[in-house]
Amino acid sequence: MIALFVLVIPVVFAVVTGLGGARRSAALAFGLFSTLATFVLTLFLYGSSGISVPWIPGFGVTFTLEPTGAGSVLTLVAALVMIPTVVMAARRVERSPGAFVALMLLMQAGLSGIFLAHDLVLFYVSWEFALIPSMLLLGAFGREKRRAAVLKYLVYAIGGSFLMLISILAIKPLSGAASYRFTDLMSVTPHLAAATQVWLFVGLAIGMAVKLPLWPLHSWLIDFNEQNHPSGAADVMGTLYKVGGFGFFAWAIPLLPVGAERVGPVLLVLSVVTALYGAIAAAAQTDIKRLLAYASLSHMGIVGVGIFGLHLAGLNGAIFLLAAQMLSTGGLFLVSGMLYQRRHSFDLDRFGGLAKSAPALAALSLFVLFTFIGVPGLANFPGEFLSLLGAYQHHPWLAAAATLSVVAAGVYGVNFYQRLYQGQEHEATHEIGTLEAFALIPLIAGILWLGIFPSPQLQRIQVQSRLIAATTTSASAGALLAAPLPDTTTLAGAKGGPLAPPSLPGEGPVAPDAPLGGGQ
Amino acid sequence: MSFPPALDIHWANLTPELALLITAAITTLFALFQRNSRSSAWLGLIGAAVAAALNANLFVQHRVSGASSSFGLRFIADTPGLALNFVILLGTALAILVSYDYLKRSDLDHPEYYPLILYSATGAMIMVAAGDLVTLLLGLEIMSLPVYVLAAWRQGARQSEEAGMKYFLLGAFGSAILIYGAALTYGATGSFVYADIIAALQASGFAAPLLATLGGALVLSGLAFKAAIAPFHQWAPDVYTGAPTSVTTFMSVVVKTAAFAALIRIASTIYPGMEPWLMTTLAVLVGLTLVVGNLAALLQTGVKRMLAYSAVAHAGYLGLAVLAGASGVRAVAWYLAAYTFMNVGAFAVLMLVSDANDHGDELERFAGLGRRRPGLAFAMTLFMLSLGGIPPLAGFTGKILVFQAAIASGYTVLAVIGILTSVVALVYYFRVVTYMYFREPESELPAYHSPAAQVAIWAAALGTVLLGVFPGWWYGLVSSGQQLLARI
Repeated sequence: MIALFVLVIPVVFAVVTGLGGARRSAALAFGLFSTLATFVLTLFLYGSSGISVPWIPGFGVTFTLEPTGAGSVLTLVAALVMIPTVVMAARRVERSPGAFVALMLLMQAGLSGIFLAHDLVLFYVSWEFALIPSMLLLGAFGREKRRAAVLKYLVYAIGGSFLMLISILAIKPLSGAASYRFTDLMSVTPHLAAATQVWLFVGLAIGMAVKLPLWPLHSWLIDFNEQNHPSGAADVMGTLYKVGGFGFFAWAIPLLPVGAERVGPVLLVLSVVTALYGAIAAAAQTDIKRLLAYASLSHMGIVGVGIFGLHLAGLNGAIFLLAAQMLSTGGLFLVSGMLYQRRHSFDLDRFGGLAKSAPALAALSLFVLFTFIGVPGLANFPGEFLSLLGAYQHHPWLAAAATLSVVAAGVYGVNFYQRLYQGQEHEATHEIGTLEAFALIPLIAGILWLGIFPSPQLQRIQVQSRLIAATTTSASAGALLAAPLPDTTTLAGAKGGPLAPPSLPGEGPVAPDAPLGGGQ
Repeated sequence: MSFPPALDIHWANLTPELALLITAAITTLFALFQRNSRSSAWLGLIGAAVAAALNANLFVQHRVSGASSSFGLRFIADTPGLALNFVILLGTALAILVSYDYLKRSDLDHPEYYPLILYSATGAMIMVAAGDLVTLLLGLEIMSLPVYVLAAWRQGARQSEEAGMKYFLLGAFGSAILIYGAALTYGATGSFVYADIIAALQASGFAAPLLATLGGALVLSGLAFKAAIAPFHQWAPDVYTGAPTSVTTFMSVVVKTAAFAALIRIASTIYPGMEPWLMTTLAVLVGLTLVVGNLAALLQTGVKRMLAYSAVAHAGYLGLAVLAGASGVRAVAWYLAAYTFMNVGAFAVLMLVSDANDHGDELERFAGLGRRRPGLAFAMTLFMLSLGGIPPLAGFTGKILVFQAAIASGYTVLAVIGILTSVVALVYYFRVVTYMYFREPESELPAYHSPAAQVAIWAAALGTVLLGVFPGWWYGLVSSGQQLLARI
């Protein structure tokens, strides 16, 4: 039932804020209350009971929410990131902050729906439901060239998701499943003929690759971030909305393992290209938001590498990295908004030496940036490491190539910091304000929490990925997923903590230990 | 098959149509004595409500005792038909509300307006119930003749008169084709009654399959004309644009509902017994409609004309479910309800935004509407997104149902075409939203207030949202009983 409230609360407050509280103070109060309440509920999400009621009876569509491992972790972290973002938006958006906050809350409901849906049609509905507010945020509150950016975003997103819809509509009649519930689909779809699986998978993959995003379907992302409201709040929402990786993890790969096995290598190569291309392009940018957009694209490439390596460690790492980058990329976008407030520009050349007059802002930025480039002990590191490790098991050369992007991240990250905070100071600026500090502190707390104690969340993710691996062993491709993972103990040793849960599958497939299974 | 005894009239089956017809007659009398049409409007609403209540009564009865028919299967009251009667009555009531203030503002307030609307709706309900080609033709004519007049309602305006004339000439042509098709079918099978035609087609040693199929094809052409399926859609953009917006509202939902009700009844019962090339032809036409409607809508700068082409495109989506035959009946009935809500809403908003003479429907008119009239803009956003098929609004569920019906009956390629063209559709629907929220107007433009139309708009918005979020109850209703002809 908690899952239902996690969806309903933001919608209710979005309606209240949108209809009644156009005033700034009301928007702040409603937004803060809604996000706090949602966050507290998401703390108890994992292990709570799901909900399943018929939605379009006779058609096999149900309203099924299930707080699975990965879904509950992502919902939790997204709910945490929402708190400071709503506050920043309510304070920094000049015109109609109430509408802005209402759209953010609607989007949060859609995102939680994506993460918690356990019915394929409900998943798709949430996927599209989140799109409209994000488009309106860009179109109504964005910068000068927002209309072109919206059109580009619309065509990519809708084109991709409608192709996904074809596969979704076809998968039930083709497989003869009883309903669109995950468990019902899962008991039949992995046995579909290989050719059918491939084309169904391709349909799903195009929609999800747009949202991952993967090169060459990424180009909307750069304009999206560049043209969004300079407070950075809408960019944070966009970061939370990078749900393509989760879609592959929770739906496409488990439902169509043979398709994943056939198409996966292509997507893996694209992911490596994305990682490298994003890193190289980021190094060449002079606009803060474009730089961050390319840098986060590069990270999404790593997520793709983790997922399409089709190995348990990589799958765990990819989802963990998705959660971690919500905090780090989100944090950097909020910092970009703070910088814009000081200079009214995103041009890197207009900055420099800010550390002299704003040392605390510089320190906090550096901390988030370190997370972003994958310094061990902080949130991104376990995710990046496991993603690359997983891919290395079957595709060592591709994994090695992708690792270069992590090296590049260090270069552009440090360069970014230097150009902002070091060197000659053109003009003095003011130190970090209370609002700004409040915005960054929850994110930093989250970064430390995920970075120092990754195990609990990794274990939750692992519960789901193990089940996926176990159920898919019924198909030929399952063996790949359930392959042994030799190196985690080394990682745990290096980190000085029990990173890898002891229940990691040491050798071969693991028996399903929850009702989710049922492949055979 | 022998005819049932001659006197199986079953008056109860006819009560919804009779209620509407009597209301129409009374309002016609009103028109003799009154210059103002407002009392007719109220009476029309009451008549529609009474008809809906009688229809509901039938609906409940038939859920218990099974479907029923009058005049020896010539007039059929089964669950899908009764459900579609609700849709027609809903469309009529909303159209009356939309017209209420508009007629006065546009100086079109002649007392004959509402009687014509009610006669037309009666004809539409007869078409829904038709179980025989002659009844079908009668319903079609009763429905069409008032609409020909209504399309030319704006006297002295060339566009409107052209619309009426064009609709009449092409409509007469369409009817003629339908009659010719009915004649050929009669020649091949010896009957006008669907049930007898089916029996003749299924009888072993049936002598004239080609003749019967030709007849079926001509009937299809006649109905495709009313339903605006390409290439029989050519009249639609001009007539929709030229007719007064309130008439367009009525036409785009009620006429379409009746046409598709008749088409799905024939396609699900008679066509399967005919030669397979007939359904293949229909499939090609549906694909063509999807492409032509959506691409043409993309090129329009006037919102009214864009909505006209969008109505053509939606005929394509409905056509996908018609192809599915018997399994598509529920999808058609469901989709038409959703379509009625969102299309009436869109036209009603357009009516308030454009000038009294229906000019000024350019996209620029919508610039800044989000700030000037937030409620109106919000409702229009809902209608546009729903027409574009964005969840969780009604249009999305409707699309799911028709695509699923098409895929389940093997028309996967058409479903793919439908989904790809939906991407195009979303571009032109979203363009309206773009103007409302993302652009500032060059000059301050008025948007009119009309309490009655606003009631219609909010009812439509509520319907669009509720049908989308809770699709189950309406789906349950349309699929609760059996179809009468399916058992024969």
